[in-house]
Amino acid sequence: MSDPWQECMDFCVEVTKRAGQMIRDALEKDITIMEKSSPVDLVTETDQKVEQLIISSIREKYPTHSFIGEESVAAGAPSILTDAPTWIIDPVDGTTNFVHRFPFVAVSIGFTVQKVIEFGIVYSCVEDKMYTARKGKGAFCNGVPIKVSGQQDITKSMVLTEMNFKKDVERFNTMLANVKTILSIPVHGVRSPGSAALNMCLVACGSADAYYHMGIHCWDMAGGAAVVTEAGGVIMDISGGPFDLMSRRLIIASSRAIADRLVKEIREFPVGRDDQ
Amino acid sequence: MADPWIDAYNFAIEIAKKAGAEIRKASVDEIKISTKSSTVDLVTATDVRVEKIIIDGLKEKFGQNVYCFIGEESVSKKGACILTDEPTWIIDPVDGTTNFVHGFPFVAVSIAFVVKKELEFGVVYSCFEDKLYKGRKGQGAYCDEESIQVSDNKDINKSVIISEFGTDRTPSKVKKICSTMERILKIPVHGIRGTGTAATNMCMVACGAVEAFFEIGIHCWDVAAGAVIVQEAGGVVCDVNGGPFDLMSRRMMCANHVDIANRVIKEIEIFPSERDDGQE
Repeated sequence: MSDPWQECMDFCVEVTKRAGQMIRDALEKDITIMEKSSPVDLVTETDQKVEQLIISSIREKYPTHSFIGEESVAAGAPSILTDAPTWIIDPVDGTTNFVHRFPFVAVSIGFTVQKVIEFGIVYSCVEDKMYTARKGKGAFCNGVPIKVSGQQDITKSMVLTEMNFKKDVERFNTMLANVKTILSIPVHGVRSPGSAALNMCLVACGSADAYYHMGIHCWDMAGGAAVVTEAGGVIMDISGGPFDLMSRRLIIASSRAIADRLVKEIREFPVGRDDQ
Repeated sequence: MADPWIDAYNFAIEIAKKAGAEIRKASVDEIKISTKSSTVDLVTATDVRVEKIIIDGLKEKFGQNVYCFIGEESVSKKGACILTDEPTWIIDPVDGTTNFVHGFPFVAVSIAFVVKKELEFGVVYSCFEDKLYKGRKGQGAYCDEESIQVSDNKDINKSVIISEFGTDRTPSKVKKICSTMERILKIPVHGIRGTGTAATNMCMVACGAVEAFFEIGIHCWDVAAGAVIVQEAGGVVCDVNGGPFDLMSRRMMCANHVDIANRVIKEIEIFPSERDDGQE
């Protein structure tokens, strides 16, 4: 039986390559920055143009499909996930990195049908690394199979997370307290590369052993979730329950043992939901 | 007037690339890890082997007893590193050993050359990115063949700062490191990042990808080469208290501009560390 979504995935890879080229071209020029919810929540013209390119290309070929795109949602489009074939898009994951030319910037696309992620694509466009994963068929970086490190011992692990300024004092303090707790387990190291989608791919290919984050969005997670799962990793909610794409939070890890330990150590704070 | 150190500079570039190739080769084999001062202060056979390749290479090219060496894996084991006026190579064979062990893509070879205690040149080879950063005093800074400059952003609220947790998990130090990060985030800045290697972090400042990087607890071999590269790219290097940079002090602040450096310095909670030269 042929795969009904393989053609969508192959098409998506081509569109993603073009999106990545657009980002690389933009990096050669001056970048005008705008702010969204706060002075540290940035967006640029490139974010908007790349999303338009992706959505218009896909819509032309698949006119009945639905979209949840970061910049469209920012402009007022709904972000409710239905059973319809849906493309969940972050055109420039790591906008702060993009603005500063810090080399972790990605295009991230996840494709869901009946709310299940069928495939994910994350393109690290400065590094020219294309991560792809089709449900049940493994994960790849530039066509080479990848898998998680399999590390079970938290004291030998490399953990990724991001630290952002938050206006809410309690959330800010909890975020910082979590980092200090994890560092002191001790773990080998904590790193902050600055792109959620790429953090997920770094765990998927074994370069890191865990990543956790509260406050990201479905478009940051959808592509990477497929890559991590197909690379043999664990993905779950911060509470230890099942991963919820619209919950704005996640833990991913190279093993259940590491994920469970992080669940124990991390204190939650409310982040709302994407579908509220 | 001919540059008296041009041969040394060119050879440093060559040997850094050779060392980097060795690191890449070693990374595909299984890596056996040992620990140094704590369970998170790692060293591997590759660190030791690569340092030997560099030092043996330099001795073979220039003579057995011509230069002095300060290298993380060799001289450092014997106690304090004394920097004299003699021409001295300061070497970190694998900066970012924790990254190397994990396959996290930032690992650098760092080689600096000092004469009469003045930094003459520095070479940092980021071997998984295959990027060679270099700076010769008075001649600018480069990444491969392209000239690099620090960022021209002087607005702290639009800056990205690199801050690392390091390998010392002493609770009082961890508390100060985390508190410093909190203070910097509150300024606010655009973000905090970290690659996990001091030498690479300094190159990120030099090429404009971030505005500043500081750390307490690094060693002279982590920052000597990067200091030249940042300065030659138009940046500033100083102490975390704003005073002049002291190579043996185990602390360093670098930035694209003195205003950014001074603003970040206000937020740094300093804690004591033992000097590399054993002085008080």
